[in-house]
Amino acid sequence: MSEIYDIGYRHYDGPRLGRGYATRALTLHSLRGVFGLGRPARSKIMPFALFVIMLLPAVVAIATMALAQQRILPYSGFAVIMQAVVAIFLASQSPTVVAPDLRYRVLPLYLSRPVSVGEYVTAKVASMVIALFLLVAVPLTLMYVGELVVDMPGPPATGEYVGSVLMALVLAVLLSVYGLALASFTPRRGLGVASVIVVYLLSSASVPLVFSVLYESGYRSEADWAWLLNPFWLVDSVQSWLFGTPPHAIDGGSYPSGPASALILVVLIGIGLAALALRYRKAAAR
Amino acid sequence: MNTVVAGITYRALLGRRRIILLLLLPLALLGLAVLFRVVAGNDQFMAVQLMQKFAIGTMLPLLGVIAGTGVIAPEIDDGTIIHLMSKPISRPTIIQTKFLVAASLLAVFGAVPTYFAAWLLAGNEDGIAAGFALGALVGGIAYAAVFLLLGVVTRHAVTIGIIYALVWESVVGGFIPGARQYSIQHWAGSIADQVSDSSFLKSDVTLGFAVPALLLVTVAGVVWAGQRLRVFSLTGDE
Repeated sequence: MSEIYDIGYRHYDGPRLGRGYATRALTLHSLRGVFGLGRPARSKIMPFALFVIMLLPAVVAIATMALAQQRILPYSGFAVIMQAVVAIFLASQSPTVVAPDLRYRVLPLYLSRPVSVGEYVTAKVASMVIALFLLVAVPLTLMYVGELVVDMPGPPATGEYVGSVLMALVLAVLLSVYGLALASFTPRRGLGVASVIVVYLLSSASVPLVFSVLYESGYRSEADWAWLLNPFWLVDSVQSWLFGTPPHAIDGGSYPSGPASALILVVLIGIGLAALALRYRKAAAR
Repeated sequence: MNTVVAGITYRALLGRRRIILLLLLPLALLGLAVLFRVVAGNDQFMAVQLMQKFAIGTMLPLLGVIAGTGVIAPEIDDGTIIHLMSKPISRPTIIQTKFLVAASLLAVFGAVPTYFAAWLLAGNEDGIAAGFALGALVGGIAYAAVFLLLGVVTRHAVTIGIIYALVWESVVGGFIPGARQYSIQHWAGSIADQVSDSSFLKSDVTLGFAVPALLLVTVAGVVWAGQRLRVFSLTGDE
């Protein structure tokens, strides 16, 4: 004799907020995770320490502007100069965005809601882009506000500031697509951190060596292409082409043609997005 | 030394994707050496530059982080270390075994490619290849001990190790001469300088300081890591 009991589950007939809302909520949740908000204190140490390190040069630059009336740090060169800190931030925080969901295999739970794989990946990439953009753009903005307050002689470098903030966004997109793609290939945090930093250091340590060996062997014009192997100098070369800023390559290097750099940048972002899409199509099927 | 523990550790490190990372760095070094050879020919100055900046300066600390923390940190992360620690094997022995595994991997993936890259660029001139290979070997062993200790002490071992390798060894060591006295890669450079008599290679650290320092760091790292594992308690994941 069987009976169906009414055990009191209620039907939900409130407003349905839809996929857009779910994606935005996931983005905000991941963004909070990048900075360790809503997690224990030890998860906050690393992102906030790196953020403070990024702010220090801006504070020093404002102080020199106020006391010595000198610009020591160009807006356009900020990302290139601070590239090691940005790379450490990317490496240490991108696994926190993607690794736990893969490790505990909760992806099917997300996908049982209206969120699709594409929206899930978009939300994750967007949160990392926002985090990296804040990391670079907040010190730039602080410096710009400082310049306006200090009232430097001559017009403020508004054009250079706006250009560098725009390029910070482009840099954030390039870096987060690759950081997340590399980190998503392993559910382990440590290995994710290591793989992102290895790829960055391969590019940053080899580029000046490749440049100098090509330059000194007489391949002067070919040597300039070496800079494009590093994401920070690649974005700087596009900035130099779009906004006419001086190149910030070390040893007084210059960049090859700007349109080619922009094309390489777009192709690289496309490849990174394709790798992420392929990875998550496979992970979602598991 | 426990062969079963060593076997499990080798399998964990070489059977997974970690081997791609371990292979990527030496392959990049050899690729750069081939490029330099094609472009610049037999150039001793560039050989020394490549060895100092890339092989000892970048590849060795990164391999140290990957292998040194990789032998123990994932097990602590997963909690599977409890199966190992509940066996009647003394915990310092576990650490010594894992240290030997990490050191042997650094010798295979660090010192051997360093020798070949230097040999490609400079042949056997002035003992550059032998010097840097020996420097990479000794430096790699010290890195293995330091990063193994870091892997036992903290869960953020990889990030902290990278910050140490990037900020302390490269940036601070590059600008403040005094800091070079306390940097594993400069100790390794000092050993390389001793073996080789190339005029392009000059080390700021004397051999009389570098050798005791390397020994001290290695032994202290392994012993301290063993002590830490003896009193190790598993805590919840964040």
